[in-house]
Amino acid sequence: MVFKMMYSEAILDYANSKKFRGKLDDATVIEEGKNISCGDEITLYLKVEDGVVKDAKFEGMGCVISQASASLMLERIIGERVEEIFSLIEEAEKMSRGENFDEGKLKNVTLMSDIKNYPARVKCFILAWKTLKEALKKISRP
Amino acid sequence: MLSTGLYEDFPTLKMKINGKRIVYLDSAATTLKPKQVVKKLEEFYYNSYANVHRAVHTLAVRATTEFEETREEFAEFLGASPEEIIFTSGTTMAINLAVVSLLRSGILKEDDLVLVSLLEHHANFVPWLRLSKFHGYRIDFIRPSGRFGTLEMDDLLKHRDKNPKVVAITGLSNVTGQRIPVEELRNVFPNSIILLDGAQLIPHEPVKPKEIGVDFLAFSLHKMLGPTGVGVLYGKREVLEQMEPFLYGGEMIDRVSLEDVTFNELPYKFEAGTPNIADIVASREALRYLKETGFDSVHEKIEQLTQMALKEMMKIGGVEIYGPLDERQHGIVSFNVKGIHPHDVAHILDQEFGIAVRSGHHCAQPLMSILKEQSQIDFPNSTCRASFYIYNTEEDVKILVEGVKKVKEWFSR
Repeated sequence: MVFKMMYSEAILDYANSKKFRGKLDDATVIEEGKNISCGDEITLYLKVEDGVVKDAKFEGMGCVISQASASLMLERIIGERVEEIFSLIEEAEKMSRGENFDEGKLKNVTLMSDIKNYPARVKCFILAWKTLKEALKKISRP
Repeated sequence: MLSTGLYEDFPTLKMKINGKRIVYLDSAATTLKPKQVVKKLEEFYYNSYANVHRAVHTLAVRATTEFEETREEFAEFLGASPEEIIFTSGTTMAINLAVVSLLRSGILKEDDLVLVSLLEHHANFVPWLRLSKFHGYRIDFIRPSGRFGTLEMDDLLKHRDKNPKVVAITGLSNVTGQRIPVEELRNVFPNSIILLDGAQLIPHEPVKPKEIGVDFLAFSLHKMLGPTGVGVLYGKREVLEQMEPFLYGGEMIDRVSLEDVTFNELPYKFEAGTPNIADIVASREALRYLKETGFDSVHEKIEQLTQMALKEMMKIGGVEIYGPLDERQHGIVSFNVKGIHPHDVAHILDQEFGIAVRSGHHCAQPLMSILKEQSQIDFPNSTCRASFYIYNTEEDVKILVEGVKKVKEWFSR
């Protein structure tokens, strides 16, 4: 059951995808995030110009949920304005808590909407988003 | 098949997870509770509950009697005297009490050496490490040199001439399940204060601190069928007498003036405030349950399950198992499936097979680093851990092995 929902072919593909993996040499913001309880770590590289995320990559090791979540997130935010991304983060948080959220906004990320049924794994899903929020706070500070 | 008695005594075993019978393999984290313990809590709260040691009324006398009888029963269990049994909230508080009190009383001083093993749970690692920053004692580590975090006798002997003031070590690793040769500690370190973390050992084997010659022994009741929030610190009387209290407050004093205080006698000087009375009293039922089952048969059964699990898990290719993999390994099997994160393994075992295993770093990050050094896989800084207790069966082990095989199969599609 859980295998069908949280470990679908599509999610496994995102988890194993190399597309957004690695360092970004011309990153303007680098942020590290960590899940204390499991030791999973992620480093986000963002290239932000004129208030838009032009490119992004991540490094890190972790479970399928955390890795797929990071890939989906980067796929969704590249090309978006920073202000818009802040609202995407809010929607992703709502989705993980099982609250109503804007599916139209989150798009590809809704692939993981079943995460709400697995509270113990929400922290895996949210690690990338939490790290992104910290990264963006750095640049939006005057 | 589980005997009907055990099914009756542990109602949790009847639980279904997604339609599958629960296979509870997380007893190293905490054990299930038998009805006897839960019933005792209710019975005690309604019939014998009042604060202890303070009042003369009937309820208070009943509560105090049961409380002190519990202490006596633990003293007998450990071959100690009741003054040497201090109730705490758990192993963590017991160890913190010992460390802080040793420092306050000047028994452990600046420039003294403390030896800590790298097998330790953070509860027996962080207090020693952190307080050395404030108090200036030296700290050195007993490094396991054997297979995947296995502590060999030579690893201990290497330190024998250093004459440490304190040696802090676990009796059984909560990650690898290795049972440490605790009987040898006193020979190797004849002049040291030895603190044994018994959180994993005592639920399986009632070692007597005086027989093996350790000065402190700490363990938690929730890992041996008892309620949460109860720990025991055994301390050798001669050491406890010299020690300054850890917590100050009610019950632990003798006289209080505006200038100073004198302290109550042992063990009360270490039990400030209202203790966790009901849970402590109900712990006695847990101890009785284990004594009636017989520690020998508990030990034998868990040994069989552990060896069976090791043998069967070793047959599955691509599974890395940590620890010595021999008769020293008891009650715990920590493993990783190559290429699959332990959280994913644990989540699928739970949802598809009803198996409860722990995944994570098990509050033992120093040991995780050692496992990583020897690992042949892309080590995820964490492991899956299956642990066994008296209510587990060979059937449980079979389900675990089948579950791990299936998880591996699914991911390799």
